[in-house]
Amino acid sequence: MKNSEIDRTHIPFIIMIAVIILLPIIIPSAYIISVMVFVAVYGVLALGMGILIGHAGLFSLAHPVWFGLGAYISGILAARGWVSPGIGIIVSAFFVALISCIIGAPILRLRGYYLACATFALLLIAQIAGGQLTNITGGHEGLLGIPSLSLGGFVFQTDLHYYFLSWALCIGCFWFCSNLIHSRVGRAIRSFHDSEIASKSMGVNIPKYKLQLFILTSVMASLAGSIFCFYLCFTVPSFFGFHLLVELLMMIVIGGIGSIQGPLIGSFVILWLRELINIYFGKIFPVMTSGVDSIFFGILIIIVLIFMPRGLAGWVEQSFNLGRRTYAYFKGPGA
Amino acid sequence: MTLLSQIIQYAISGITSGSIYAIVGICWSTVFLITNVLNFATGEFVMLGGMLTWLFLGLGLGLAPAAMIAIACTVLIAIALERLAIRPVRYPSEITYMVITIASASVIKGIILIACGSETRTLKHFIDIEPIRILEATLTPQVLFVIGVLIIVTVGLFLFFNLTLFGKALRASAFNFNGALLIGIEINRFRLFCFGLAGALGALAGIVIAPIAFTGYGIGLMTGLKGLVAAIVGGWSISGTVLAGLALGLLEGFGAGFISPGWTDALALFIMIVFLILRTLSFYPRLKKEPS
Repeated sequence: MKNSEIDRTHIPFIIMIAVIILLPIIIPSAYIISVMVFVAVYGVLALGMGILIGHAGLFSLAHPVWFGLGAYISGILAARGWVSPGIGIIVSAFFVALISCIIGAPILRLRGYYLACATFALLLIAQIAGGQLTNITGGHEGLLGIPSLSLGGFVFQTDLHYYFLSWALCIGCFWFCSNLIHSRVGRAIRSFHDSEIASKSMGVNIPKYKLQLFILTSVMASLAGSIFCFYLCFTVPSFFGFHLLVELLMMIVIGGIGSIQGPLIGSFVILWLRELINIYFGKIFPVMTSGVDSIFFGILIIIVLIFMPRGLAGWVEQSFNLGRRTYAYFKGPGA
Repeated sequence: MTLLSQIIQYAISGITSGSIYAIVGICWSTVFLITNVLNFATGEFVMLGGMLTWLFLGLGLGLAPAAMIAIACTVLIAIALERLAIRPVRYPSEITYMVITIASASVIKGIILIACGSETRTLKHFIDIEPIRILEATLTPQVLFVIGVLIIVTVGLFLFFNLTLFGKALRASAFNFNGALLIGIEINRFRLFCFGLAGALGALAGIVIAPIAFTGYGIGLMTGLKGLVAAIVGGWSISGTVLAGLALGLLEGFGAGFISPGWTDALALFIMIVFLILRTLSFYPRLKKEPS
């Protein structure tokens, strides 16, 4: 009984790893590989934000800030040649943890709309600062001269290297988060999503868990940001602004609020839909793709929220259950 | 320019932008108090006012009809937003409302981007007379229009909410939703009305500010957020929002003049964060505990 249950929880990971390894062998296309790198990076980001929003009920919109800080700190350290890129990633993750702890401690006292407003303001302040501090960040022209990532003598150069690195991070974070959510800490986190008073009276130390979760997800975002900046060798503040926030919200909503696998599904679906729009609408409206893009995705979010509040993950689960019930029905009683 | 006239100049520009923030703040608070929706598309109403007026002026209409049609269109869009995107939500929560309004703002922005292009636009000044000179500072007549609109809106809303039966019913439903339902106030009609009112006021603000500040498809976000700052700092009441909006505008005017124009947006947002955090520190219960 125990063995079969462990096997069942491992199945999604085994399938994911198999698909990730087989994909470049079956379809060796540089275009698909490079889009899949973005799917992994945005997947890590959306996963962290989805846990904050869906499981803990913390409506924190400052997630792109940690992503951007991770990218900028490791990028600056590597571009100025102060430390090697591998150490730079760890240093930036440490700094982001420190900063998110300092900011998170007062800001997580807020709830609901007010938390959302404060973190949204934080996002825009960070973007303005990124544009204004020209001598540190390079301003709106962007940070140039970031070298390739090297870890212990191995230099990451081709798309395929970054593909495996980013998916290793993504699957690692996914595995960690799904274990976390089903552990004692995860149950505590889900309990204060529903009622803070009830979970407080059961003895859950709410501020401590909130802050820990906030720091954890911001470190995940920072690691994703570091890989993002080494992959592109270039960053500008507008990568990490309002546009990224809307994209992340889309991934979470379309994937499904309150499920672990939802944000990953959302990241995959959104990025490939965007590529399709760019390919097909790029021919019809060559100039207006960003307008078409925001109209299409805005309407998609509204439709999903009204007609499919649990998103794609909920839909998959529903059809899976339906399939199981149909199977049991045809197999007859005693199955 | 002497220091005194510099101060006057910055104060004028501060009061101008402050009046706009006050009107936008009133848009946020009318919607928020009655429907409990924090409508992130409020800034887009301001943008719609300016851009639609520009569009209709381009079709050869006069200023007054163009402005009227622009306001009417914005009201229709705001009502459609409530009816088509916000009311049908099955499990209303703060998160759902917020994501839906952010998505609607993105849709409105995209439509305007396709219809009007990405260039910044400007309208002509409403009346074409010489700027008034105070010492060495100049006061364009358009500023008087902006301040006049703020005064008319504030006084009009004050009279509406305090003297008419409809306004009193609105205040009642903001105060106690279930109580208002119980005495037979039609909440759904009121929600539509609040969105329409916010759309009209936002569009009006967008039209009167368009000759001074540039308008473009992307101005909605920042204008809307500063209105939100005014509404939150002013405690969601009309008088508080107007005072907070004017104070914010003055602070920004002086900040842009004496420190650096690049950081003024960050200053307003920083004030909001600090204010929100200070609210959570519970001074009030401690004050209440003292023997009276």
